[in-house]
Amino acid sequence: MMAPVVQVEQLEKRFGEVRALDHVSFDVDPGEWIAIMGPSGSGKTTLINILGGLDHPSAGRVVVDGLEIGNLGERELTRYRADKIGFVFQQFHLIPYLSALENVMLAQYFHSITDEKEAAEALCRVGLSDRLGHVPSELSGGEQQRVAIARALINQPKLILADEPTGNLDEANEAIVLKLLRELHAAGHTILVVTHSQAIGNLADRRVELEHGRLVRISSPSLAKE
Amino acid sequence: MPSRSMFLRILWKLLGASRGRLAVALIALTSGAAVCSALLNVNLDAERKLTQEFRTLGANVVIAPPAGGSEVPLADAAVLDRITAMHILQIVATAPYLYVAANSGTQPVILAGTWFDQVARMNSWWKLEGGGVSSRDDHEHCLVGFTAARQLGLAPGSSIQLRSGDREISLTVAGIVTTGGAEDNQILTNLDSAQALAGLPGRVSLVQVSVAGTPAEIEGVTRKLVNNLPGLDVRPVRQIAAAEGTILGRIRGLIFWTIALILILSMLGVLASMAALAMERRRDVGLMKALGGTVQRIMRLFLVEAGTLGAVGGLLGFLLGVVLARWMGERIFGVAISPRLEVLPITIALTIGVALAGAFPLRLLGRVRPAEILRGE
Repeated sequence: MMAPVVQVEQLEKRFGEVRALDHVSFDVDPGEWIAIMGPSGSGKTTLINILGGLDHPSAGRVVVDGLEIGNLGERELTRYRADKIGFVFQQFHLIPYLSALENVMLAQYFHSITDEKEAAEALCRVGLSDRLGHVPSELSGGEQQRVAIARALINQPKLILADEPTGNLDEANEAIVLKLLRELHAAGHTILVVTHSQAIGNLADRRVELEHGRLVRISSPSLAKE
Repeated sequence: MPSRSMFLRILWKLLGASRGRLAVALIALTSGAAVCSALLNVNLDAERKLTQEFRTLGANVVIAPPAGGSEVPLADAAVLDRITAMHILQIVATAPYLYVAANSGTQPVILAGTWFDQVARMNSWWKLEGGGVSSRDDHEHCLVGFTAARQLGLAPGSSIQLRSGDREISLTVAGIVTTGGAEDNQILTNLDSAQALAGLPGRVSLVQVSVAGTPAEIEGVTRKLVNNLPGLDVRPVRQIAAAEGTILGRIRGLIFWTIALILILSMLGVLASMAALAMERRRDVGLMKALGGTVQRIMRLFLVEAGTLGAVGGLLGFLLGVVLARWMGERIFGVAISPRLEVLPITIALTIGVALAGAFPLRLLGRVRPAEILRGE
């Protein structure tokens, strides 16, 4: 049996008096698709921020690919984000003055060295071969999100963290993005998706459900369907 | 692709994306650099020009017989021929003086016999009312110092009788001269006339020499005169050299503080633009950090951007400054200031420094927390 790629043990995050995460524990196996679900304010984004090295835990232990990230300093966390994490955000978060190609290359630049051909191939994989030179304002929401997915994948991260990736998309674009996520999953990528959408939740291998910062349920939609 | 190419690619896009704000910063930098370059050019060139101007402010070397005994010491006028024979190119003018105590009626008066042509060349700033005397052979006219003219009630065209012992001469006042010096109390006339009145043919009290050049060159001429004129005192006029040094020092100080003030004002202009730019770039910096960009790497981008802006502003400012310096030179000194190439690196270095100091708000972006930015805070 393979060792889990993510281990979360008794994770706590406090913002002053508010306990955003309260003794949350779960593991993620390599290649697994996890949907993190729950109502607003349940701690989903806080959890994904800690897993992505954007925030520090107040207590508990988070190990990603053998690295305990709670102990890392700012510089090491930056390296960790560059090496192991691919982010997809609800608001896409592309640099507005860089082209689609350059936005992907930016992630390469911060990781190691840039490879324009490889970046162009990543955009071709998400169906944007004819949009390489377009800046975000010239792309639709769905296209922007696909650029963000290509950017998230370019450095072969251990973990793809997506925070409401279809939250700002219409149905047609949502379907395209979900298809891409399914393909990534099929290709063996480990994906953690924060979502309100039951449809996306149903695509995941497991659902981690949070309420008021507590883990209330881990379920397996595929088993339920059977 | 090497990382440097990507760095330049991002930098280029960054410059294009923020061109409005950067243009404002560039204007501030260019204006500051232009004034700075103009003043530096003026400072370097004007020093030379002012030194030349100072050379026209009277004599800077005085040759006189050594003091001794109760008699007023006098030198042989042949000293003038010896000075001429030395062929010293830096000597602009040589004016002998013989001072004679005379009387105009019952009023005592000092008569100074000299060479008018040399006096005029040496003292171009003297204010003259009426006509001048330009020839050293003019035995009929005299110039009367402002104070002496008032005491004796003289005006241009007046006649004056001067007596010394049993000798007398009669002169016509050509003009009233204001010098701000001892000459204001004297009557200036032809050397031969003064020698005749005093009964001292071929004698002079002293010789004033005007030497052009740097303090070192003047020192050299003085040494040469000392060596060639044994038995005479050759003294540089220290007060003029000191005054020149003081004035040049003050001008240099004024220019230094003006440059400092201008650079501070430019920096404030850049600071205002960069503060607005920093607000616009918070999200981008948060995102870059989330993607694994280190603070150093992101800041390098902004500092090179500011440095580039400084270099461009410095270069443009230098060129504008040269034009400005020429205009100032013509207006203030009446001469064209020649651009000095050494001002270019100084201007560019100062402007880059100002740009980097003005980019301080961008450096604060290093503290941005990506989680907060990505949440939309």
